[in-house]
Amino acid sequence: MSEQAIRKVCVIGAGTMGAGIAAQVANAGVPVLLLDIVPKDGSNRNAIAEGAVAKMLKTEPAPFMSKAAARLVETGNIEDHLEKVAECDWVIEAVIERLDIKQGLYAKLEAVKRPGTAVSSNTSTIPLANLVEGRSDAFRRDFLITHFFNPPRYMRLLEIVTGPATDAGVAAAVERFADVAMGKTVVHAKDTPGFIANRIGTYWIQLGLNAAFDMGLSVELADAVAGPPMGVPKTGIFGLVDLVGIDLMPHLQESLTATLPDDDQYHAIAQSHPLIDKMIAEGFTGRKGKGGFYRLARDTDGRRKEAIDLAAGEYRPAIKPLGPTGPAARGDLRALVETKGVIGDYAWAVLGDTLAYAAGLVPSAAADVVAIDDAMKLGYNWKAGPFEMIDRLGAKYLAGRLEAEGKPVPQMLRIAGERTFYRVENGQRRFLGLDGEYHDVVRPEGVLRLADIKLASKPLLKNASAALWDVGDGVVALEFTGKMNALDGDVMKLILQAIPLIQSQYKALVIYNDADSFSAGANLGLALFALNIAAWGEIEKLVAGGQMAYKGLKYAPFPVVGAPAGLAVGGGCEILLHCDAIQAHAELYTGLVECGVGLIPGWGGNGEMIERARNAKMMPKGPMPSVAKVFETVSTATVSKSAAEAKELLFLRPEDGITMNRDRLLHDAKQKALSMVEGYTPPEAPTFRLPGESGHVALNMAAEGFRKRGLATDYDMVVSDALARVLSGGEADLVDTVSEQDLLGLERETFMRLVREPRSIARVEHMLGTGKPLRN
Amino acid sequence: MQSVVIAGYARSPFHLAGKGALARVRPDDLAAQVIRGLIGKTGVDPADVEDLIVGCAFPEGEQGLNVARLIGLLADLPLSVGGMTVNRFCGSSMSAVQIAMGQIAVGAGDVFICAGVESMSRVPMMGFNPLPNPELAKKSAVYMGMGETAENVAEKYQIGRADQEALAVESQKRAAAARAAGKLADEIVPIETRGGTVSEDGTIRPDTTADALAGLKPAFDAKGSVTAGTSSPLTDGASAVLVATEDYARKHNLPILARIKSVSISGCAPETMGLGPIEASRKAMERAGITAADLDVVELNEAFASQALACIKDIGLDPAKTNIDGGAIAIGHPLGATGARIVGKAASLLKREGGRYALATQCIGGGQGIATILEAVE
Repeated sequence: MSEQAIRKVCVIGAGTMGAGIAAQVANAGVPVLLLDIVPKDGSNRNAIAEGAVAKMLKTEPAPFMSKAAARLVETGNIEDHLEKVAECDWVIEAVIERLDIKQGLYAKLEAVKRPGTAVSSNTSTIPLANLVEGRSDAFRRDFLITHFFNPPRYMRLLEIVTGPATDAGVAAAVERFADVAMGKTVVHAKDTPGFIANRIGTYWIQLGLNAAFDMGLSVELADAVAGPPMGVPKTGIFGLVDLVGIDLMPHLQESLTATLPDDDQYHAIAQSHPLIDKMIAEGFTGRKGKGGFYRLARDTDGRRKEAIDLAAGEYRPAIKPLGPTGPAARGDLRALVETKGVIGDYAWAVLGDTLAYAAGLVPSAAADVVAIDDAMKLGYNWKAGPFEMIDRLGAKYLAGRLEAEGKPVPQMLRIAGERTFYRVENGQRRFLGLDGEYHDVVRPEGVLRLADIKLASKPLLKNASAALWDVGDGVVALEFTGKMNALDGDVMKLILQAIPLIQSQYKALVIYNDADSFSAGANLGLALFALNIAAWGEIEKLVAGGQMAYKGLKYAPFPVVGAPAGLAVGGGCEILLHCDAIQAHAELYTGLVECGVGLIPGWGGNGEMIERARNAKMMPKGPMPSVAKVFETVSTATVSKSAAEAKELLFLRPEDGITMNRDRLLHDAKQKALSMVEGYTPPEAPTFRLPGESGHVALNMAAEGFRKRGLATDYDMVVSDALARVLSGGEADLVDTVSEQDLLGLERETFMRLVREPRSIARVEHMLGTGKPLRN
Repeated sequence: MQSVVIAGYARSPFHLAGKGALARVRPDDLAAQVIRGLIGKTGVDPADVEDLIVGCAFPEGEQGLNVARLIGLLADLPLSVGGMTVNRFCGSSMSAVQIAMGQIAVGAGDVFICAGVESMSRVPMMGFNPLPNPELAKKSAVYMGMGETAENVAEKYQIGRADQEALAVESQKRAAAARAAGKLADEIVPIETRGGTVSEDGTIRPDTTADALAGLKPAFDAKGSVTAGTSSPLTDGASAVLVATEDYARKHNLPILARIKSVSISGCAPETMGLGPIEASRKAMERAGITAADLDVVELNEAFASQALACIKDIGLDPAKTNIDGGAIAIGHPLGATGARIVGKAASLLKREGGRYALATQCIGGGQGIATILEAVE
């Protein structure tokens, strides 16, 4: 059967997973029918599905990217509305993990669904072969497993399992939709228990718990070892179990011990711990319960972090453990497992067996090492997958230590021998296959990674904070390279060098990087240094230089497309405001947050925002509405919680693009830039009619209302007054025309006045020291 | 002077701005439906109407362009009927009534439709382009937010939070009881909307308790006593009364509700604008030759519980006779529409409850009060 477009989706089961999956379908702009059972009591037969949507609208982090997305979810129940499945192109079953219930539902679905409509189960434990027992061949052709991770909006992994009868076209349609529309990275798993990520993850967690109990480690030290030093999120193991729910552990254990083959290593380590059983029984199930291995205790002094003593079983104040140091703390896995004492012993106990277990899953659970690595990176947020970690540890070293301990050495380790699982040949990343040969890591069509390009080429320009790369077809990419991709004079210098180069030799520019955060804005550390030595001239040069560089981009004779993902704040937002177009990842957290550090946007953000606001649809006429809208957003340092919300806040224009799959962002941005090349003319400089002093007074009145309500501090009033002055045009009269350059001058002058204020400096210092705004 | 009477009263249901059932209804359409309803229930011949006077506090956007004329055309009034928009903020449509009375007095017409409208969903308070005079802002509190003035009144009159909440609970209770007894149905003109017909108020909260109100955060001043529960809500609504000479009303068998006995307007300090009704009521009562003790019915707009309590105390009103069917805290306060509502309501109550004199009075942002004394017609 050929691949069909998916225009409407049905999700059955409105629990956390089902509802979250439905929300992500809606986030893609696709209508979704969310069904659950009819509740036993109550008159509203759709209460469960409706309740799930209502709950999601209040959940943080939010499952929905916008309120508009929530309106795409149609709710119902499986008794009255199952026939609506005929309108859908994909049905996702996310009901309780009971084979009889799932099979019963499939029998009903078979009667109402159209032939060719894909049906997939979100099961995490039941083999596909069991699920389709009793179903027709036609049903089996349309059936597969799609295993999402929680929360479905934020976790990028989707494990797909197809059966022997699954139609390739049906599977391809689901995969394409999950990838392009829902933004998931698909990993193909075999029909084995726990698939890939949870199979390895559960094993790893169990090892970590066992070893900490056995070795008498504090939970803090355990997490400090099996956390960032291994490229694992700082929750480590105990923190992660708190997050997902301690009570989930026995279920996973039961399911895996019942279904894994008898010779699986997991059976040897699966065990319960009396303390954990007691915690579950008493409701200490983690963050959702009364507490977990960690908890926040409230007392008269405020909140205090506590941790449980694994030996005594009692809470005590949390400690800051003396974790790994030196190279062992910074990703040198060999140094970590060879650290003398309990740190090295624990690291080895967890890492050695986990990596060996993962290596043993090729080819039984996954076809190749890439699938295993992708699953753990995307499903558990590990910085490196098991095989990438083995490469850093040394396959031979790992095999040697396993052998010395009398443990079996997996086949993949033997195949690797002294080689690595990955290597780069002629700029192409390749992986080691079961056949002992290296094969290209093939990206799906439309996936372009700067990391791949960087392996194969040298930068066109490069300095300490930025680089320029040829990404093909006449397009170049500007990459920020500083810490948190912070922006400084070097970035501005490189922009000014890049403009003539692109003009003479290329067609378009994309501003992009592979990092989790597009840019945290101006380099505050550098700024603070200059402030402390009162180098006002240097600071003004930096402000003026940034204004010049950004306007240079805006008026360059070629299209400039911003391609942000993750955090893009302050100067990182302002550079986007100067682009001809934006192609944003759906997870975009952007805003002008300068007021939070006692400053105002200084790189042209004020004028660009007014321009966006006055062009916004439905913006009332007159000098005030656009200015007031910008003031409201910027004075409160509002940051979008998605790209969709960034449009509502006017950081993005209505016609700017949104890419759901992070891996497709660079490709999409490049295509957008190329589409603008023909007949491109730079924008004309805008002129403004601003409300002047009257508007300034009106904005200050609004701010005063906030202060009275206790929502703004005294110094907020000083900062917002400065912002109000710039946005209302300073001394300009209502009938004057204010040029873009006039506004830049006013912005710069006002910025320079604020930056000398001791309370602004205190805010900058506090932000650098704590990462949080100072409310002085 | 000719006797001038209120010969009909109608209003739309009142709904919360933004999220209420009238948020998607244009204010000109809303007012036009109310005027058609008034004409229908009074039976007045529209061709006799001299002028349509519409009060509106923020006459811009969909309320702009002399919206009174537009409303007249939307309501299919004859082309011969005039149209004038009046702005005295919250006192706008009471001013419309007073202007009609003056026009009748100078012999410039027999019948007027005096209406008011405000869509606080669609035209924001302060308007789209607030541009205060910087010099005036320095020397006067005239631009002060209304909530802050309510705090000032609470402070000046030492009105505690519990007293304000008690008034709010009573207002909600009375409005809910009146609605349950069908006492509001007569005055309400059902409004056709894209979402269906809306025929009941959406503002009343019958379950309001003192305990629930006590849990609210101050709405305007973190250290203050005024909350959303003791303030009138932002509201969408329209209202209209028919003002005519008594001779005309009798000749055409119009339903006479009450005679307008006296009127007044009075300025006061902007920072305590909620006290406006005190002097305005005193003047109107003096002109009518009565005292507060002579009043049988009072409609005192509850912009805020604090200012309503201050006015009740200072004027010497009987709380039992004040806002018998609940006040604006429960019913809502669509700025420009409130004046015609409370004049029409006071006139209707005088007829329903019996008695001789009624007072309708309200405070006005910027520092004013307005009052109208009505007298029963035998």
